[in-house]
Amino acid sequence: MNVGEVPQPRGGFEGRLEAELVRVVTARAAAAPGMATAMPGTTVAPQTAAAPRTTVVWARSPGPVERIAGRLLRSPGLARALVTTPSLLLPWLIASVVVLAAGAIATIGTGQPVVALLAPAVAAAGIAYAYGPGIDPAWELSRSMAVSDRMVLLVRALSVFGLDAGLGLAASAASARAAGITFGWLVPMTALCGLALAVATVARSANTGVAAGVAGWALVMLAGQASKGRFTAAISDSALVLPYLAFAAICVAIVLFATRTPRGTT
Amino acid sequence: MNVEITDLTRRFGRTQAVASVDLDLGPGVFGLLGPNGAGKTSLLRMLATVIPPSSGTLRLLGRDPGSYPQRRQIRRRLGYLPQDLGYYPGFTVAEFVEYFALLKEMPPNRVPAAVATAVERTGLGDKARAKLRTLSGGMLRRAGIAQAIVNEPELLLLDEPTAGLDPEQRVTFRALLRDLGQRATVVVSTHLVEDVGAACSQVALMNQGKIVFCGTPEELTARAEGTDAAGDAPLERGYSAVLAAARTGTEAQS
Repeated sequence: MNVGEVPQPRGGFEGRLEAELVRVVTARAAAAPGMATAMPGTTVAPQTAAAPRTTVVWARSPGPVERIAGRLLRSPGLARALVTTPSLLLPWLIASVVVLAAGAIATIGTGQPVVALLAPAVAAAGIAYAYGPGIDPAWELSRSMAVSDRMVLLVRALSVFGLDAGLGLAASAASARAAGITFGWLVPMTALCGLALAVATVARSANTGVAAGVAGWALVMLAGQASKGRFTAAISDSALVLPYLAFAAICVAIVLFATRTPRGTT
Repeated sequence: MNVEITDLTRRFGRTQAVASVDLDLGPGVFGLLGPNGAGKTSLLRMLATVIPPSSGTLRLLGRDPGSYPQRRQIRRRLGYLPQDLGYYPGFTVAEFVEYFALLKEMPPNRVPAAVATAVERTGLGDKARAKLRTLSGGMLRRAGIAQAIVNEPELLLLDEPTAGLDPEQRVTFRALLRDLGQRATVVVSTHLVEDVGAACSQVALMNQGKIVFCGTPEELTARAEGTDAAGDAPLERGYSAVLAAARTGTEAQS
């Protein structure tokens, strides 16, 4: 049989059923000429004629953020992937603002660095929900796309990190005089985000990533309490900066390893 | 040739999912048949550049998928429907198809018309604004097919595309396949022998990672002659005969 040639229906009941279905479909196609390849339920004009009409109906106008991201990233696909990040959607952002605002108020009221202790955990949760098989139901499909999933990872992770760092800085600045610790949480936040992302990616579960991030942060604070008698040692002890950064680098390496396309024979 | 495969093997630990497969495919509809665990999905995932081969040579659309720039070029011209199509419940059909059109790096000014065309061709025109979470299984499958064909791919890979479609939709879908196969290489992995008989000009039968038959549906049907192979239709009997012979050969070897 040549390519494109229509195979003949087979015999028996199945063949007759198939022939009848072909007849029904052909009759529908004849009623709407040019639609021989459209599936049932279609009620518009043929492919070439349908496009202009439906373009008007279905054309979606990207929002301002998506437009700016598209220009900056030079990729409309990447921009679309960015604005669909779960932890960049409005409800999540509102929740982050509320948590950090409450932390700022508590910091001012108690004089304890609540914002500094909250910000890393908020960012870790956000970044665990930024990327990966745990949050992307069409993960396999997205891995066959021209826009590389690593680029999506990079752009989403940087955006979530940057946004949460900005929110944390604002909350920290608002309560700085009360707490005394202003930006000491930025480095631990980097390490915690690395941990949450690495665990979420390897475990293929955003919730597991969040759990690891929050648990890791609780352990570090408890260790500070045990060794120096204060929870804030986790963010105020300058001797921890290098270990935090080294830990973050290890986590990034794990993420890169987990998301690599193994070198195969071609 | 759009697909050139030589001695392709894929292992998962100790399991050999695809074993020394050789295949050359040009334009047309190519059916991939076989029992569960035969290696069809693994072969399709390698063709979709989702997983790399363990050994062997693979060239797609005249390019080497092992090189990132060439893989990106292949992916722009590829359509893929995975066996388990994950979907975003909050997306509408049109948004879902548009999302993947953008991820395939289609020129943005071409995307709306391409989305409209793909949605119409899969019969989802009246559901374009419906959220995916409100659709039936068959409609979700058609949304998956729409995203696969939105970029008018030169290589279209469909894993169980007719699962969940009703008989009328299947018949129409086969017509769509034949139409697509006039310009592109369409590889359809399926359990349904009648899909192959109705839509495919070439068919391969896989068993335990190997291709045990490659030819036309008529040639597969002819394999049943002189045997007592089981099946309700001639093509099914051919399928059973080839599979039985392959299994006997495997047993004899072991």
